[in-house]
Amino acid sequence: MNIRRNEGAIKWTLITLCAIFLAVFLILPLIYIVATSLRAGFQTYWKSITDEYAIKAAILTLEATAWAVVINTAFGVCAAWTLTKFQFRGKKTISTFIDLPVTVSPIIAGLIYVLTFGRQSFLFPILDRLGWQIIFAVPGIVLATVFVTFPFISREIIPALTAQGTDEEEAAAQMGASMFTIFRKVTFPHIKWALLYGVVLCAARAMGEFGAVSVLSGHLRGKTNTLPLYIELLYQGYDFTGAFAASSVLVIMSIVILALRVWLEKKGVKDLDVRK
Amino acid sequence: MSVDCERYYVELRRINKSFGTFQASRDVNLRIQRGRLVALLGASGSGKTTILRMIAGLETPDSGEILIDGKVVNDVPGSERGVGFVFQNYALFRYMTVYDNIAFGLRVKKKSKEYIDDRVHELLKLIGCAGLEKRYPSQLSGGQRQRVAFARALAPSPQLLLLDEPFAAIDAKIRLELRAWLREMITNLQITSIFVTHDQDEAIEVADEIIVTNGGGVEQVGTPRELYSHPETPYVARFIGSSTSVKEYWRFRFFKSLGDQTSAVVRPEYVKVFRKDENKKFAKSAEEGIVDDVIFRGDNLEIRVRIHDVVLSATRSINDPVVEVGEKVDVFVYRFLVVDGEKIILLDNSSLREESVVI
Repeated sequence: MNIRRNEGAIKWTLITLCAIFLAVFLILPLIYIVATSLRAGFQTYWKSITDEYAIKAAILTLEATAWAVVINTAFGVCAAWTLTKFQFRGKKTISTFIDLPVTVSPIIAGLIYVLTFGRQSFLFPILDRLGWQIIFAVPGIVLATVFVTFPFISREIIPALTAQGTDEEEAAAQMGASMFTIFRKVTFPHIKWALLYGVVLCAARAMGEFGAVSVLSGHLRGKTNTLPLYIELLYQGYDFTGAFAASSVLVIMSIVILALRVWLEKKGVKDLDVRK
Repeated sequence: MSVDCERYYVELRRINKSFGTFQASRDVNLRIQRGRLVALLGASGSGKTTILRMIAGLETPDSGEILIDGKVVNDVPGSERGVGFVFQNYALFRYMTVYDNIAFGLRVKKKSKEYIDDRVHELLKLIGCAGLEKRYPSQLSGGQRQRVAFARALAPSPQLLLLDEPFAAIDAKIRLELRAWLREMITNLQITSIFVTHDQDEAIEVADEIIVTNGGGVEQVGTPRELYSHPETPYVARFIGSSTSVKEYWRFRFFKSLGDQTSAVVRPEYVKVFRKDENKKFAKSAEEGIVDDVIFRGDNLEIRVRIHDVVLSATRSINDPVVEVGEKVDVFVYRFLVVDGEKIILLDNSSLREESVVI
């Protein structure tokens, strides 16, 4: 066959293309970020990343990420369980709506919440009386982050649950186990790795979110600025060293997440091998 | 009446069940005696699994009553019916060890640690899997998995054991071994058991009593012997054993027509094929046929013989003199199962009576 004869040539062409692509689009910019942030010396770099506002932005980013992960884990598990273990009308519709956030531009997601909870909304008087400030405050940022990461966890779990089927749950239910026991003892072990993987993806996406958060944040330095917003602010103010220093923090966080992902994949595959 | 309740452990009264437009159970009435090992036998889609699942509480009937031990259990959850269920493909918990699998039902019932430990080890010994408690289901053979599923169902000491196609997922050789094992196990435990199967050999070999299902209803209930020798419906006559349909059975000598609308079914056991030079019992009443095919079946030979424009099957021992394809042979038919509407009439060769008179 032709393919076989040309295998070597095609293989090496593709590998080279891949390597060039990765170098130009990923590795070069990453090196550039680190290099630029260190250009003015390590002292300046350290000062930039230990700046009061930088730290506050980093903490807010982690906070929003944590909320997004917790909320989406709870929702994702429930949604995936419902969609795979029960038969009901409107199942397809729900399944489609879960994916909506990835197809909608984040800026629209931000605007949706401004319209829903802002001054012109019918909900505003109620929220105002309760003293709940949502937009231009931390809850708005959390809301935006949850929105953009909505399908990540449920989409990871659904295939795992579908592959498992319902017979083990049925067996457990027949012996009188409660829903909670069934989930904890029977279902959860099947989705553990998919769930963790979904959490990692969700966290990665949540940390980097800019668009939706930008609309809802109000850009209050030290209060509602997340790390990506803070970087943009510095950049707009021609503080390149500061912007790249803050970026490098975000990059380090991403690399930690990436490492976690690789480790999870390895561990998960091993575990599945034993208990298939 | 009270005597009935005592005798019948499981009873189904006028059960109907539909899934959408498909009627899985059609006016099912059943009574199963305490301590019996009963097979629900039928082709796929005949409603046998639905019956089993309704008894276990995994499905709810649309109408009718289910009684266990004389009590209506329609509104009792499956877990409180005292039922152990062995699922098709076993549904073992893949992420639990053998020990945890067997202990699951006991833990749900909040038994003490010591009790659970004793019971699990007792069951492991019973199923011949002692020492395997730390393994995961993926590390077991098919036969071992089935035994573990059996132990898991038995752990909470149920009064009734239900098994859904218990041998379907096992290869042929081990299946025979497991059949004998399961039969012995259930007989020793004296636990009322119902198992679903589509394999008539399995039902006949294992069960005390067989319930034949067809099209959502019950066709016939009886011991394997009764079903074999006295089928009540055309479906049972054709389903049990390997049957051949014969339209004009009255063309065979010593058989009279029982009416114009009738046809007949004949089994290989009712047909005897002799070589011309063989000594035979029914020399005068045999007819001539031509051997159409000879099929080697390992422990015997199936002879397909053409007579009166139909091909009948018969078996011959491999020790009998060889018959060849195309050879003219003598054929004697003992009996036809005549299909008369929805009834079956046993029609014996009339020369049998005469010959016995002669002797």
